[in-house]
Amino acid sequence: MVKMSTVSTKELIHAYVQLSGKLRENFNELRSQAKETLDNCPFPTKKDEEWRFTDLKSITSNKFESVDTSVAQANLELDEFHLPEAMNSRLVFIDGNFSPSHSAIEGMPDGVIVGNISDFAEHEQLLSHLGTITNYEDDVFVPLNDVNFQDGTFIYVPKETVIEQPIHILNVFTHRNNPHFVTPRVLFVGEMFSKATIIEEHIGLSDNVYLNVPVNEFRLYSGAHVHHARIQRDSKNASHISRPVAMLDAHAEYHSYTICLGSKLFRNEPRVIQNAEEVDFTVDGLVLIDGEQIADTHSIMDHRFSHGNSHQLHKVVVNDQAHSIFNGKIFVAKDAQKIDSFQENRNLLISDSGKVNTKPQLEIFADDVRCSHGATIGQLQDEEVFYLQSRGLTEQKSRELLVYAFALESVESMAVKSVEELLLKEVIAYTNRD
Amino acid sequence: MSEETKALESMIGEEYKYGFTTDVEYEDFPKGISEDIIRELSSRKEEPEWMLEFRLKSYRAWLEMEEPEWFNATYTKPDFENLLYYSAPKKRPSLDSLDDVDPNIRETYEKLGIPLEEQKMLAGVAVDAVFDSVSVFTSFKEKLAEAGVIFCSISEAIKEHPDLVKKYMGSVIPARDNFYAALNSAVFSDGSFCYIPKNTACPMELSTYFRINNMESGQFERTLIIAEEGASVSYLEGCTAPMYDENQLHAAVVELIALDHADIKYSTIQNWYSGDENGKGGIYNFVTKRGICKGNHSKISWTQLETGSAVTLKYPSVILQGDHSIGEFYSVAVTTKKQQADTGTKMIHLGKNTRSTIISKGISAGESNNSYRGEVKIGKKATGSKNYSVCDSMLIGQSCGAHTFPYISSENASSSVEHEATTSRVGEEQIFYLMQRGISEQDAISMIINGFVKDVLKELPLEFAVEANKLLDIKLEGSVG
Repeated sequence: MVKMSTVSTKELIHAYVQLSGKLRENFNELRSQAKETLDNCPFPTKKDEEWRFTDLKSITSNKFESVDTSVAQANLELDEFHLPEAMNSRLVFIDGNFSPSHSAIEGMPDGVIVGNISDFAEHEQLLSHLGTITNYEDDVFVPLNDVNFQDGTFIYVPKETVIEQPIHILNVFTHRNNPHFVTPRVLFVGEMFSKATIIEEHIGLSDNVYLNVPVNEFRLYSGAHVHHARIQRDSKNASHISRPVAMLDAHAEYHSYTICLGSKLFRNEPRVIQNAEEVDFTVDGLVLIDGEQIADTHSIMDHRFSHGNSHQLHKVVVNDQAHSIFNGKIFVAKDAQKIDSFQENRNLLISDSGKVNTKPQLEIFADDVRCSHGATIGQLQDEEVFYLQSRGLTEQKSRELLVYAFALESVESMAVKSVEELLLKEVIAYTNRD
Repeated sequence: MSEETKALESMIGEEYKYGFTTDVEYEDFPKGISEDIIRELSSRKEEPEWMLEFRLKSYRAWLEMEEPEWFNATYTKPDFENLLYYSAPKKRPSLDSLDDVDPNIRETYEKLGIPLEEQKMLAGVAVDAVFDSVSVFTSFKEKLAEAGVIFCSISEAIKEHPDLVKKYMGSVIPARDNFYAALNSAVFSDGSFCYIPKNTACPMELSTYFRINNMESGQFERTLIIAEEGASVSYLEGCTAPMYDENQLHAAVVELIALDHADIKYSTIQNWYSGDENGKGGIYNFVTKRGICKGNHSKISWTQLETGSAVTLKYPSVILQGDHSIGEFYSVAVTTKKQQADTGTKMIHLGKNTRSTIISKGISAGESNNSYRGEVKIGKKATGSKNYSVCDSMLIGQSCGAHTFPYISSENASSSVEHEATTSRVGEEQIFYLMQRGISEQDAISMIINGFVKDVLKELPLEFAVEANKLLDIKLEGSVG
């Protein structure tokens, strides 16, 4: 359906749309609006305040082509990535294409939809929600996803319905010789008092170059409850630019945990919008990077109404020449009283050539609120290392153990046992790399 | 609102009617800015050739620069062609006795607890024989000279100490540094020059000096303070009494240089006219202040109490170049009515084992916006460095805003940075607790606010700390509760 197109990255998006000649045939309004944005919006550079610390070289120095959507690799062996808790609630996308043979959706409660977006293109709930809350300013990446996505995840949970098993969204990237870009999409609609757990994974099977631009939309109506874990294990040469947005109505709860392990460049811009009174949300993150990795999180906790609780713990370990960037914004609108918001960014810089930039940011327009943030950049305490050594551990082991302990806090919040175990292994692999 | 508060508010809000009439002395000087104007300005000030060159170079740099817009404030940009860039020292109104002074102003003085004789000085009353300011002034001058301290106007320093000025002016804040610093470098009117020789503790706080000889230096003030090896000095600019000025734009430049083991403490109290209830009028306070800890074990400390001005953009910074050097920033910024303040600091750690502390307290009331913007940067070679920052905001009322923009970065594995910020309000429980101990609501609020800013005000020179507290009370009177 779509021609292969090679584009110079700076005009990556423009060229893509132009070369392909026409837009994809469904969601016409969304796509043509997105195309218009792409035509007018320049690619970000370090001169933009929001991008000033982020080196985009790994995108701009490559030519990415779009992936032919008609071929899915049915014979790929992916069993090792399956979660035992989600054997019957799994959606698999290979290089962005939905793979029915790898996926398994069975035994869902009545009325629940878990499936491929393109199979539900005419669904009323999908049409009325798609693209409604992803309004990023001066942004090219959501529009890129908008014009390009074909397959994706659509989850609809009806009123007062609880999905017991976690839903596993597995994005796998195979080895391809040419750099390519992929635009995974997730649309989640949770009706009143529904409940679900989502595990979203991005796994690079090789070390090839690609650009992964996922967009997530989570619309939670009154009393809906979602636990959302995002695990990024992209190829070490990939670039991952993601935009997860959640909008919450009264008494909704949304708890998200983003774990960044892979990719050369990671830029995550989570946003949670409080759309009514009385909500509760978490935007936690754990970043473990080394080599020449760059991990950048720009989050927004947007309190537009009264009585909201929000919490953010963003933990980072930086080794080698890696570079971590954090900008966490807490907005409290005028008259959004009684907000209790807390943000914490802890950076552990364990190499002399690593670099950390952090900018916690408060913008408060209501007086009766409690908002605070803390940011630290530091190292392991000599006393702590000494204490462990005095118990008979080598210095190396002591340090590994302390880094492990530092990362543990974020991992323990995972609601799914096998994910927690998987992450513990990843943490150990990161700390004991020698 | 009490009668008293009304009177005060009208005093703070109203245009100043007394004195400071248009000066005839500079009527012949044309408005606007050009190379010719700068040449004329320089020749009137009888400056040497190199100074003119410095000004012209800065002017050319300024022409190429764009007015910055990144800060969290909106205002009408000044019309640079309509400004007057040369001003002779101001003529003070001459009144016969304190009874002639505007009663509202006197009330403020009394509330601030300014001694009677000083009130006269500030109000421009001819001073009687009992309080001979000239003799006090002279004895101070002698004392300073004895110690070898050079303390004079920058114009005088350009003529008398050209080597020092040439060496240090523009070394911390180069003309190209930013738009307003470039403008200042081109057209600065006057300011202070201070040189403390080797191993000398300045025999008096230079703040005291200003209490007696309240200097006025016009809208483009330039200050240069140099502390030689082992020298120390404490300097205070500004005044708690409300200051009125017909110049809307104030773009000052302050440069501090601390060599090995030197110690400079710079305190500011700023209470310029902040505009009326609707945000009309008021001073734009766009100041570039920066100090460099050039030597090992040197220390620079900034303390500021910012209560005035319609728009304040000000980031007193320290470059920690010498090993083991220390930078400090203590700030209280209060905004009421429609005031906008975007203020904070930069701590640039370059030397080994450098330390910096930032304590910033913002209080917003009325419809004002108060932003803390700061940068802490720990360079690759600044091993073993530490920073500790706290910035707390307090909101009073439902139409104001508080913002924090701290930029933090570190590039080595032996340094640590700690930053924390909170936003809160005067707690109902706190007020209740104090009131049930028999304290009135207004006093309770005032106590809570004073407690909130205590960490900063204790850094002010003693004689100002008390006044500063009272100034806060006056400023916030009527806005709480």
